Amino acid sequence: MSVAKPYESATSVGDWPLRLRLFVANYGVYIALVALLLAATVLTPRLYDVNTIAVVMRQASQLGIVAIGQTLILLVAGLDLSVGGIFLMTSIVVADVTNGRDELVIPAILIALALGALVGLGNGVLVTKRRVPPFVATLGMLVLVKGATQAYTKGVPGGFVPDILGIVNQSWFVLSIPLLLWLGLNAVFIFVLRRTAYGRKVYAVGSNIEAARLSGISVDGIRISVYILGSCLAVASGVVLTGYVGYVDRFIGTGLELDSIAAAIVGGTAFVGGRGGLLGTIAGVLIIQILSTMAVLMGLDIEVQFIIKGLVILGAVTLYSLANVEE
Amino acid sequence: MSEYILEMQNISKSFAGVQALKDVSIRCRPGRVYGLVGENGAGKSTLMKILAGAYRADAGEIIYKGQRREGLSAGEIIDSGISIIYQELALVPRMSVAENIFLGREPRHAVGVLNLKALHQGAAALLNRLGIALDTNLPVSELTVAQRQLVEIAKALSQNADLIVMDEPSAILAGSELDQLFGIIESLVEQGVTIIYISHRLDEVFRIADEVTVLKDGELVDTRPIDQLDRQTLVRLMVGRPLDEIFPRTEHEQGELVLVAEDVSTDTILEGASLELYKGEILGIAGMVGSGRTELARALFGADPLTSGTITLAGDKGASWSNPAQAIESGLVLVPEDRKSHGLFTSLSVRVNITLPILSRVTRFGILQSQAEDEVVEEAKVRLSIVMASADQEAQYLSGGNQQKVVLAKWLETHPAIVILDEPTRGVDVGAKFEIYKLMRQLNDRGIAIVMISSELPEVIGMSDRILVMNDGRIVGEVAQEDATEAGIIELATMAGAKAKVS
Repeated sequence: MSVAKPYESATSVGDWPLRLRLFVANYGVYIALVALLLAATVLTPRLYDVNTIAVVMRQASQLGIVAIGQTLILLVAGLDLSVGGIFLMTSIVVADVTNGRDELVIPAILIALALGALVGLGNGVLVTKRRVPPFVATLGMLVLVKGATQAYTKGVPGGFVPDILGIVNQSWFVLSIPLLLWLGLNAVFIFVLRRTAYGRKVYAVGSNIEAARLSGISVDGIRISVYILGSCLAVASGVVLTGYVGYVDRFIGTGLELDSIAAAIVGGTAFVGGRGGLLGTIAGVLIIQILSTMAVLMGLDIEVQFIIKGLVILGAVTLYSLANVEE
Repeated sequence: MSEYILEMQNISKSFAGVQALKDVSIRCRPGRVYGLVGENGAGKSTLMKILAGAYRADAGEIIYKGQRREGLSAGEIIDSGISIIYQELALVPRMSVAENIFLGREPRHAVGVLNLKALHQGAAALLNRLGIALDTNLPVSELTVAQRQLVEIAKALSQNADLIVMDEPSAILAGSELDQLFGIIESLVEQGVTIIYISHRLDEVFRIADEVTVLKDGELVDTRPIDQLDRQTLVRLMVGRPLDEIFPRTEHEQGELVLVAEDVSTDTILEGASLELYKGEILGIAGMVGSGRTELARALFGADPLTSGTITLAGDKGASWSNPAQAIESGLVLVPEDRKSHGLFTSLSVRVNITLPILSRVTRFGILQSQAEDEVVEEAKVRLSIVMASADQEAQYLSGGNQQKVVLAKWLETHPAIVILDEPTRGVDVGAKFEIYKLMRQLNDRGIAIVMISSELPEVIGMSDRILVMNDGRIVGEVAQEDATEAGIIELATMAGAKAKVS
């Protein structure tokens, strides 16, 4: 490269510090995951029991399925806090519609998906057409959905969770229905993001919304569709959670809305959109899930768990800031 | 004390092993205007950032007001009387003019409470000194870009600057605004202030500078008094080779009609614009910044909804559109003025950038076809000679010039019949300008019609076949290329109340 253009040269691939920074930003999360797994061999060898692995994977799947949606939404520079309300709503719809009857599980899930899609549509319309910031729009929706479900049940949820949903708690070796669902959905959405026109548009909208609009992309349509997908994935997670808990719990999935955001961020998806992806999110989910399992195995207090989780999130965000070339 | 207010001696600076500045020295006397010119990447901005304390020089020294300056923070440098006005203005939009001028140095009462009266009086006095009438209560977001620039200058003055660096102040100004800026510079100079003026527009340098310093590839080429320079010499010094400054022209007859816009208005300043566009021509759009040129471009592209009027393709197609997607489909594209914020996806790869508007061509049933995509990217790379490590490199890691090529490539790959270029050569150095002009002629030769918006009158006159002049949201006149003069266009563009008379 000529001496004429310092910025070009300083940021070309021959620049070792930048290459190193990019390497860290691109692969840091996987290195961290491997390091964590190595640390566990010494600190908590019990993590490697088949039964423990199966449990970790089931729990990772609950978080991971919501985190797929959260990643999609973060990619368009959005955010979804309302998933917490959707877990509760899903749980109540399943119990209410089936009232314990196995044969009504499918219709119940379909109804929950339809309602979830409606919530996602609401989020999307608020964010795009009314220009409400995603944090505010989805926070409002969270409160609204929780309030509406409680008004519907008058605070005393009726109905029973059908026994068949208990299947989510079964494992064959380390495989389970939630894990297969998580892996399957990841395969689908990784393909969508990487190999389809829709995926390209999602990244474009998140990277530069005005340029995307001027490139002929229906930016509002893309953003609304992503919010709808996010809500539907939260319903899927909600069904798994309902089967796991086995009854309608008012606090079902509490914390997962923030953990799903954390998993995506730790996995390298940018809060400002347009950068990141699902492979990183998978690693982020595993890191968060393995950390909390290790903390439990080591008998650490819940406060310590929170501190560790917080440090992991902050550490990850600091690492990604290294890849920024702008001073 | 020496006769110089500033001496930068033998300054060198390298970034990651690449020499950005090599042994550069400049000296400034008080009360004079110094032009600093050079192509993009010549080191102008790096030199000024070292002066501002944003970078630390690897070697060399700075003597300011007779004292060696060392290890000062950016704030201490401002306090010492050096002010730099960057291209990207640094004002807080929601705060008032007065608050912006005194940001961080607000006059206070004894107990630390803001002295609002002194704040506004001080601001008014400064604006008065610059000969600007502006309400100091107005939020900056309400101001035009030109007015914001004046506020920046007032801010520099409020810091009692003895040396003001202006980094391409004219890039966003035109006509009378420019005259106002030059008037202010002259009065500052009379008050003993020294100005370092960075610009790509050589006309301005000749008009305002006393002395010109030319940088090239990080090295000092020469510093000469302006009266010992002519335009050709200066260009030769900058590019290191004689450059034929004549705009490339090709002779062609007027082609068939391709586009008709009638009485087009949008919810902006744009009102009742009508135009016709012919195959293979360049239609220049001249006018002041804020006269509605960009709004016209956006309206033609379907980016802003029309409140009246029609835009249709001529001939048997007769297509019309109401959004960018349909416009692109119909063969009309817009290369926006602000390429970085409206054109480029910095966090995405070159490949994704280029194929975005033509996804339907490189996908089947919505699924990307790698081979088709590779072919498109390779073609674009070759056609515009884009320098990149690979097609998967993120656009943010390309140089500015290559980023612009990526944006251009993206639009040309749609195989358009009509290309709207909004300020195609803004912020581009002389050599790259010539490349863009040649590209425009190549497009013409392929029958593509071009609408070119430009603030640079020599460019508009040199390149356009016909010129439409805009003023206050309306098209106020059409000038044929052979009749066009800078004076004539400026007169049309600044005619007062062109709109008021009609409505």
